[in-house]
Amino acid sequence: MIQVTGLEKRFGNGRGIFDLNFQVKQGEVYGYLGPNGAGKSTTIRHLMGFLKPSRGHARIGGLDCWRDAAEVQKKVGYLPGEIAFLDGINGAEFLDLLAGMRGLKSKARREELIERFQFDSKTPIRKMSKGMKQKVGLVAAFMHDPAVLILDEPTSGLDPLMQKLFVELLLEEKEKGTTILISSHMFQEIERTADRVGIIKDGVLIAEENVHDLQARQKRIIEVTLASAAEADRLAQSGLAVADRHGNRVGIAVQGEYQHLFQTLGGYAITGVDVRTLDLEELFMHYYDRNDHMGGKEGVR
Amino acid sequence: MNLALYRSMMKTHARTLFGYVSGIVLYQWLVIWIFPTIADNPNINELINSMPEGMRKAFGIEGGLNELTDYLANEFYGLLFVLILMIYSVMTAIQLVARLIDRGSMSYLLATSVSRSQVAVTQALVLISGLLLIALSSTVGGIAGVEWFVPERHTFETAAFVQINLMGMLLFLVIGGYSFLFSCLFNDEKRALAAAAGLTVLFYAADLVGKLSSDLDWLQNVTVFTLYRPAEIAQGTVEILPTAIGLAIAAVVLFVGSVTVFQKRDLPL
Repeated sequence: MIQVTGLEKRFGNGRGIFDLNFQVKQGEVYGYLGPNGAGKSTTIRHLMGFLKPSRGHARIGGLDCWRDAAEVQKKVGYLPGEIAFLDGINGAEFLDLLAGMRGLKSKARREELIERFQFDSKTPIRKMSKGMKQKVGLVAAFMHDPAVLILDEPTSGLDPLMQKLFVELLLEEKEKGTTILISSHMFQEIERTADRVGIIKDGVLIAEENVHDLQARQKRIIEVTLASAAEADRLAQSGLAVADRHGNRVGIAVQGEYQHLFQTLGGYAITGVDVRTLDLEELFMHYYDRNDHMGGKEGVR
Repeated sequence: MNLALYRSMMKTHARTLFGYVSGIVLYQWLVIWIFPTIADNPNINELINSMPEGMRKAFGIEGGLNELTDYLANEFYGLLFVLILMIYSVMTAIQLVARLIDRGSMSYLLATSVSRSQVAVTQALVLISGLLLIALSSTVGGIAGVEWFVPERHTFETAAFVQINLMGMLLFLVIGGYSFLFSCLFNDEKRALAAAAGLTVLFYAADLVGKLSSDLDWLQNVTVFTLYRPAEIAQGTVEILPTAIGLAIAAVVLFVGSVTVFQKRDLPL
């Protein structure tokens, strides 16, 4: 459904995206991950026809995203990374405008979404909180039942309850066969919804992985609080990979071998357990390192 | 053009537009209202005749102030009308495109499957509608004001007055046109505003200096304001048709150019 082939955009300052290739199949959820400034939004701007590729193509449903932008956008629901609505109107008027521009007649889906996200659409835009604006943006992206959703960092600004709601909504869309591309700089944000993940850094797609493989390979720190310092000492000697230690708390790095971890922990007096997730840099250290060793384009830092 | 977008833009724009229209009409009425007092006072015309010719020319009052159409052409269309419309054309043109690009709201509009050229044409039409409405109001308002405030014994050249308004509108369609072009060209609202306002002020200054100094009168050949001569139209000494056609063509070229530029450029949305 989404096809990016040899896509390249060079900006004056040497940044940009370089020879990107990936595909998202119909009904698939593709997580597009990378640190800030890696080129996620630049890729999405090509998909939306805002930027003209220096080389290569971005296609959606077989149509060229630059040449046939208007036609492509009929099928696409888009949530921009930056929230910027028009001045001087309220949420409902803004949604009316977008629906009018699309020639959308039915308000049913839109009302249903507003009901679910629970916000007062009559609020003037300048009085809205960031989370509320994000909800308006999500309604705008979903209200015409698009075949393709392109969401640029969708959960920023949403509280945990709304994030959960958003995940449910995405899973429903997935059920319906909607093709979805979500960009994020946090793996946690997409791991529940995405089927596959593409990782971009410095404008280069450095890896594409199945989410389950990535989860299995992901290193987590299990932080165990023990009843006494003596117990903590004993655990530290147990042969598990100890990442750090503060008094009675021992952090153990785990990568897949949970069985062994819990068997070992069974023999200790434990008062608390916590899981620390690693940020993107740590999570993808593996890829970044490999890339460096390969002496590839990004080898020199 | 896209009707939903046009309607929404006109609606949010209505309040500002109403401000400009009422400002122009009220000020014009004030100018008309004091006309009988000035025209019937011989001292004022003597004072004007005692001023150096260059100065009278710069202020556009070489015709004296005892003829109503001349008086309006000089006192209103020569200065205040121009200043107000300069601000209106430049600001509106920048707000309609560059601001939306700069803030990112343009991405929502373009994501709705309305093509770029349609969005640009619609935004241009909002600006053109505003200028049309202002010109129409000042024409109708002026004629009504003369009817109400000026005793019958003063003659009023309605045809020349309409021509002044028409030329004013065409001039500002050109100024609005290049401002709109800058608006479509730049990513940064401030830069677009600086370019449009800068060029307009430069044109205006060139016209003013050109009129004041005979050594620098060549400056009048490089400014668009030369093509708008309300005092001369009032005196019936110019043929406006060729200039009007020229301005109209320039405006069309500028707006078409703007739409083309907007269609083809990269947008940092």
